[in-house]
Amino acid sequence: MSSRSSSSRSSARLGRSIALHLFLAPLALIWLFPLWMMVIFSTMPDRGIFSPSIELLPHGNFLDNVSNLQRDTNFIGAIGISVSVAVTYTFLSVLLTSMAGWALARYQFFGKGVVVAIILGTITLPYAVVLIPQFIMVARDFKLANTWVALIVPPLFNSLGVLFMRQSFSMMPGDLFDAARVEGVKEWRIFLFVALPLARPMLAALAIILFLASWNNYLWPLLINSKPGAMTAPVALGTLIGLTKVSWGGIMAGAVMLTVPMLVVFVLLQRHFVAGIAAGAIK
Amino acid sequence: MAAVTLKKVVKRFGVFEIVHGANIDVNDGEFVVFVGPSGCGKSTLLRMIAGLEDISGGEIAIGGKLVNDVEPADRGIAMVFQSYALYPHMSVEQNLSFGLRMNGNPKADTERRVKRAAEILRIAELMKRRPRQLSGGQRQRVAIGRAIVREPQVFLFDEPLSNLDAELRVQMRVEISRLHKELGVTMIYVTHDQTEAMTLADRIVVLNAGNIEQIGAPLDLYDDPANRFVAGFVGSPKMNFMAAKVVGNDGAVTVELANHGGARLRKPLSGAPPAVGAEVVLGVRPEHFFEAGEGDCDIAVKADVAEHLGSVSYVYASAGPEELIIEREASRQRANGDHMAVSIKAVRSLLFDKSGARIR
Amino acid sequence: MRYQNATAYRFLAPYLLIFSIFWLWPIISSFLISFQATRTVPWRFAPSFNWGRLIGDPAFFNALKNTLLILVIQVPVMITLAIVMAVLLNSPLLKARGLFRFAFFAPVVVGEVAYSAVFRLMFNLDYGIINKLLNSVGLPRIDWFSNVTPAMAVIMIAVTWRWAGYNAIILLAGLQSIPQDVYEAATLDRVSKLKQFFYITLPLLKPIIVFCAVLSIIGTMQLFTEPFLITERGGPGGGTETLGLLLYRQGFRSLNFGYASAIAYTMAGLAIAISLAQLWLTRDPK
Repeated sequence: MSSRSSSSRSSARLGRSIALHLFLAPLALIWLFPLWMMVIFSTMPDRGIFSPSIELLPHGNFLDNVSNLQRDTNFIGAIGISVSVAVTYTFLSVLLTSMAGWALARYQFFGKGVVVAIILGTITLPYAVVLIPQFIMVARDFKLANTWVALIVPPLFNSLGVLFMRQSFSMMPGDLFDAARVEGVKEWRIFLFVALPLARPMLAALAIILFLASWNNYLWPLLINSKPGAMTAPVALGTLIGLTKVSWGGIMAGAVMLTVPMLVVFVLLQRHFVAGIAAGAIK
Repeated sequence: MAAVTLKKVVKRFGVFEIVHGANIDVNDGEFVVFVGPSGCGKSTLLRMIAGLEDISGGEIAIGGKLVNDVEPADRGIAMVFQSYALYPHMSVEQNLSFGLRMNGNPKADTERRVKRAAEILRIAELMKRRPRQLSGGQRQRVAIGRAIVREPQVFLFDEPLSNLDAELRVQMRVEISRLHKELGVTMIYVTHDQTEAMTLADRIVVLNAGNIEQIGAPLDLYDDPANRFVAGFVGSPKMNFMAAKVVGNDGAVTVELANHGGARLRKPLSGAPPAVGAEVVLGVRPEHFFEAGEGDCDIAVKADVAEHLGSVSYVYASAGPEELIIEREASRQRANGDHMAVSIKAVRSLLFDKSGARIR
Repeated sequence: MRYQNATAYRFLAPYLLIFSIFWLWPIISSFLISFQATRTVPWRFAPSFNWGRLIGDPAFFNALKNTLLILVIQVPVMITLAIVMAVLLNSPLLKARGLFRFAFFAPVVVGEVAYSAVFRLMFNLDYGIINKLLNSVGLPRIDWFSNVTPAMAVIMIAVTWRWAGYNAIILLAGLQSIPQDVYEAATLDRVSKLKQFFYITLPLLKPIIVFCAVLSIIGTMQLFTEPFLITERGGPGGGTETLGLLLYRQGFRSLNFGYASAIAYTMAGLAIAISLAQLWLTRDPK
């Protein structure tokens, strides 16, 4: 009796499990398809891409495509700019937002309520609202178009990091910081040597998300750094899309160079990635 | 070493006053315990002494020096937190030395102090471990060690034992007592546990709702509480309170118990007796009930439940709406709602007026 | 806690400076610019210049219509899909969980330009893999980019592909914060798995679903790169032009900052309305 009921239970489970996989597996394949095609295209000669046959397996033309791309635009140089900008931006943004988050989480001060209210009250405003004044300010008033500063500094306003770090710091037990205070440790040293080390997982999540945002950023760099030598990699690649005499194999090779490193990072640091997104650290 | 003086200390959070003008004198080298139910303001008071909370009014002096505007680090105090507040990313050794290192204390001196603390607390073999690799009791020792390393004039303890299990709590209590004797410095200790207060303190400060109810040596609080709150808070199990009415005041007062069939007790007073007809409360500790006929007033109660602790037994009894806890000699007798008679002695009972003030 | 004004502001100052210059001030400035005629030098104050034009501009209403259309169709489809993904990924019966997570979450790291290029190529009329596959199963191929409806569909498919997994991550985190014993209690009460989903999971997940919906709406409202790159500047014939694209055209092709600011503030108005709706939807029941 008991063995029969347990076997009927396990066969019901098996049925449900099969149904689950039968539904999810095709969906997963569809979801992977564009990425797969990106890789396939990047390994095909342009003749192959524009031929009537269906090609679903990789060829060997990736390096030729890279050199085609380099002929169409200085993509390697643009990658260099993108990497430097993303690294600098991530470092600065993590520093600024964690300092601000620390202040908001751990101190009582005049005007705190106002600062928090302004940040929260404006957070859902669309970025489009500030685009034009930012552009006028940076390009016309500060005359910083086509510089690194223009790429790095304005996006530092992002307040989601502040809220994320504020949340992280306020979840830590306050006694830890009081203990250091009683021992006469200066506030900035408490921040540096107690708070930041404890926030390492959160800092990692924030850094990954910010790096990704900067790496993939398109609209702002498109507007402010449109001169050939100053373009980031996505902007450089974007200029080729829609032109007639370009190598599509090259464009796909560029797309792969933009995407695959991020995929590798994603696989290696999935936990931090997911934590960062789950906390709403980017839009 | 230093005395700690609190004069009319007030704490407000917005419009809420949490502490209403506390006056406390802690003598040099004394062990004082602040005790009271949660939310009574005891931890706030301690944090104000530490300098972690602003003082809304009044004065706090440590070692004769006014410290209202002195930074926590410069008050000559060290604090042990309820959560231990060990830095999880540092080893025990780094935890102990962190404050000194951050303030540029000479390396040799830091090492000496850390070594001494480790010896006092017998944690020398744990120095390389991280807090999460330690047991609760070991963490507690490290937290205390971090206070010792500062060589403070005053130790502050904020409910340090409340995260430990019962057995460890007893062990650490003894340990802290020993530490006080060895170091001889002033210690202020906050707890909600009256047993801890009774066993550790030279003097106890009983707090309730931001007011100091009484300050005194443990046994003075037990024998001679100032009011019904202190009488009920000190002692375990709690004192029994019985409703009564004054029926005679000819030199001594005679009260009639409301729920015990007109039983009367005559009790001599040193002060003016209350008026006839006044409602009062008679307090009797569980351990102060006697065999019927041995005291001044016999009462009959219904024994509902008995708890046998081995050394003694507690009988949970009732008489009408009133519930009483009565301590008896150890027995195996079960309570099945049978009646029992006990006796009250006038000298082993306390009288309170309706507001809770003691009638002496 | 003690008041520590000086210390707190020392930590806050660097961020607040950037925040004020590049966020707060532009918000105000943009509002002011929308009331100015910006194609004359110097700019002059003309309250009805841009806003008056906006009300009568067919291009604006076309972009507004397209944006709302995308919102109304794409967001519900994507959120539903994301819920399905999250619930199934959370199933204890699932094998090879890591592979499935990778499949659905990977698009999150793909940049707009990269995936726009791929989608453009995949949906190409003559050589696109999609049409080849349609042909191979005997279906007629579709001229995706020459007609408004299929062009719109490609945009929606692309955006859904890119963002469904992102929302699934947020929803999955929400699912995992629902205590397991609630389901165990329901199972003992003989509540079927499907009913558990509708009567336990969905109500408990509602605030997060609303949050995802709001994020998605505000994101989709600003849609720019996809119609810019996939459907070639909002083609065919403005059929996929969004507010984001119109703003770009007016602000940065025609350098008509005043008019672009008015468009931006229209988007802001929509965003504020949606945020208020979110507050109302997730309010605590009295």
